[in-house]
Amino acid sequence: MADVLVVDDSKVMRDMVVACLRPYPGLTFTHASSGLEAIERLSLQPYDLLVLDLNMPDIGGIEVVEFVRGQDRLRELPIIIVTTRGDDASRTRALAAGASCFMTKPFTPDAILSEVRGLLEGRRA
Amino acid sequence: MSASVDLADFLPAYLAEAEELLGMGHRQLLAMEASIRRGLPHPRAVRELFRAVHTIKGLSAMVDVEPIVDIAHWMETCLRHADRAGGRLPEASVEPLMEGLREIEQRVRQLAAGKQAAPVPPGLLSRLEALDAEGAPGGSAAKAAPAALALEEAVASRLSTAEREQLTTGATDGRRAVRLDFIPGADRAANGITINSVRERVASLGETVKVLPLSGPAAGGGALTFVLLLLTEASDAALLEAAGGPPAAVRPLAVVAPRAPALEPLPESAMADEEPEEARRGGGSLRVDVSRLDEALERLAALVVNRSRLSRAVAALTAAGAPTRELQAILQENARQLRDMRTAILRLRMVRVGDVLERLPLLVRGLRRSTGKSVRLELDVGDAELDKAVADRLLPALVHLVRNAVDHALESPEARRAAGKPEEGVVRVASHGRAGGLLDLTVADDGRGVDARAVAARAGVPVPPTPDALLEVLCRPGFSTRDAANATSGRGMGMDIVQRIIVDQLGGELGMETRPGAGTTFRLRVPLTITLLDALVFECAGLRYAVAVGSVEELVEVDAARLVWPAGAGGVALLERRGDSVPLMGLARLLGRGAADGRGGSVAKALLVRQRGELAAFGVDRLVGQQEIVLRPLEDPLVRVPGVVGATDLGDGRPTLVLDLAALGLARAGGAPHRRMAPIREEGRLA
Repeated sequence: MADVLVVDDSKVMRDMVVACLRPYPGLTFTHASSGLEAIERLSLQPYDLLVLDLNMPDIGGIEVVEFVRGQDRLRELPIIIVTTRGDDASRTRALAAGASCFMTKPFTPDAILSEVRGLLEGRRA
Repeated sequence: MSASVDLADFLPAYLAEAEELLGMGHRQLLAMEASIRRGLPHPRAVRELFRAVHTIKGLSAMVDVEPIVDIAHWMETCLRHADRAGGRLPEASVEPLMEGLREIEQRVRQLAAGKQAAPVPPGLLSRLEALDAEGAPGGSAAKAAPAALALEEAVASRLSTAEREQLTTGATDGRRAVRLDFIPGADRAANGITINSVRERVASLGETVKVLPLSGPAAGGGALTFVLLLLTEASDAALLEAAGGPPAAVRPLAVVAPRAPALEPLPESAMADEEPEEARRGGGSLRVDVSRLDEALERLAALVVNRSRLSRAVAALTAAGAPTRELQAILQENARQLRDMRTAILRLRMVRVGDVLERLPLLVRGLRRSTGKSVRLELDVGDAELDKAVADRLLPALVHLVRNAVDHALESPEARRAAGKPEEGVVRVASHGRAGGLLDLTVADDGRGVDARAVAARAGVPVPPTPDALLEVLCRPGFSTRDAANATSGRGMGMDIVQRIIVDQLGGELGMETRPGAGTTFRLRVPLTITLLDALVFECAGLRYAVAVGSVEELVEVDAARLVWPAGAGGVALLERRGDSVPLMGLARLLGRGAADGRGGSVAKALLVRQRGELAAFGVDRLVGQQEIVLRPLEDPLVRVPGVVGATDLGDGRPTLVLDLAALGLARAGGAPHRRMAPIREEGRLA
């Protein structure tokens, strides 16, 4: 069992991520439509995986990563950053801030699934 | 384990979201253009447009629409430069960006129509690329004097120069800069008090400049604080309440007047005005496919039908002497609940008139360029709402009227100056509220007015004595005040189309007032809701009729050779259907339009309808097709005829009757000429 927090201001994108990960057994999903909502949820309950969009209103993905890595409790939380072609600079910053890996749109369902498998199973091992 | 997900399944959702993002993009770009004309930067609009385009790009990549990805990519590059330049966009960039949005929009429409997205048009990318090559535009980025805000370093260091400046200079006109600390908690979240809901409530109380998460021990035992920095006129108490009360806290941001800035200061209104609407309207809304609402209405209709069966059963029980008082009370309650539910579902279909009109500024912008006229569009429609089905039909009429106003009514700047008017013409679309299920709208211009004499001369009629008579002439099909077609309005004013939509389709009213030299006002009155019906349209004795698809059980070919004509049946034949005999009535005869003897009719098809549980067939000449129609109930009790539920306009400008065949058959069966139908039906069953 693992709780996944999917953060994106685009509902279609959140739905796509969930659809891609659905075949992985035992995942439950929570949606957050903004970086602020993500931080609130992360502060209130534990999650096992964070899938995060970089480009959002208010505060972006990088700030969420910075927040997460600033919390002792969340230091080990795997974070998948979803980016788009052209995000190179922010990608580097997110990596520096402590993101675990990247998925660049377009990605296939299998690609993100295998990343998730790696992150969740690596953590358990 | 393999992912059996096809991202192409997300295409409809993608298209809906893309449309929404494009709408937002257009608004931001127009706001930017307005700022440019006033020589001001508009950093927020630049960022919002960037975000919209960026989201479109990512989504398009996921569903594999490469041309849109490419267009969005170059637009984004251009906007990134503008962002780095403090929200200043060179004027020359507006047009290619506008073109980019249009091209994306076109491809979204192509996909929606089931086509492939066309490749990127050859010139566009090079135009966008050229903007990129020009590099960052000139103009100083925001570089104000250090602002003196009462903020700890952890917060202050995370504010951009522009945000800091906004807080220090925005506190004017009774607005003050405050800091609202909201501490999230599980109990608060359970009560719906979350950062999203707080943000939404605060948005209605003022302008949110920045929201920051701060971790560390917080009041009330929390470990996280959201710091909201606001410009507001609201009281501390109101703000505190918006954040769910303590442990939230409000503190003023004592602004120490900054030292005179070394560089020329950016005007304070740069960001404050022309804020995107979204900021105020906030979240809390949901996009729903209209077909889902229709589905809910259909389900509700089934419930209503069931209720009347129940009510009949109760009536039978009552007649048999059973104690049904409580049952009847429940039934009454149930009827009221069903009515409330219908109202609730219909309310979901309402859209804001303001949202419907959001494309008009874009239209006027285009007209400004193509006509060379100076025009200001004023929209004043308040919070009025309309059924989406009405709104979808109304918009083309309004577009027509606005286009006419700019094209034909407004004079050139020189002519206006000569007439002592301001050079800039005004077109105003306003709504003055609603009453009795109707919405009143006006489209007014301050142009030259309609010249009744010229209209009369062109139409070859006497000068119309009243505005109504003048409007009648203007609305004649093909009437034109122009000799040559032009690019925007084409030949003629197309007022016949406006009249067709408002009066014939929507069942509304159209009026006009005009004063030579001073302007023209069109008054539109439309119903807030209309009834849409999926209908079968057919021809019978030379006229067209429609019936609800749902009421027809089956459509059969009539083989004249296989009909049985029982003697003395008054022209009612029996149609064989799956071993059963169904009475077939010529519809033309029922409507009093056919020969007295059904044999004479050229019945080719029959619609099978259930009448009180029994099948009956209605013979018609020809099936025209199936289409969605706007049902206009016949409200005049004098013309209420059993079997006729209303009228519709099929697009030919002639009213078409919408029939309820079951009721029509029963009404005629009870009527004198067809008194013998009931026994014949029994005969039919025996056969």
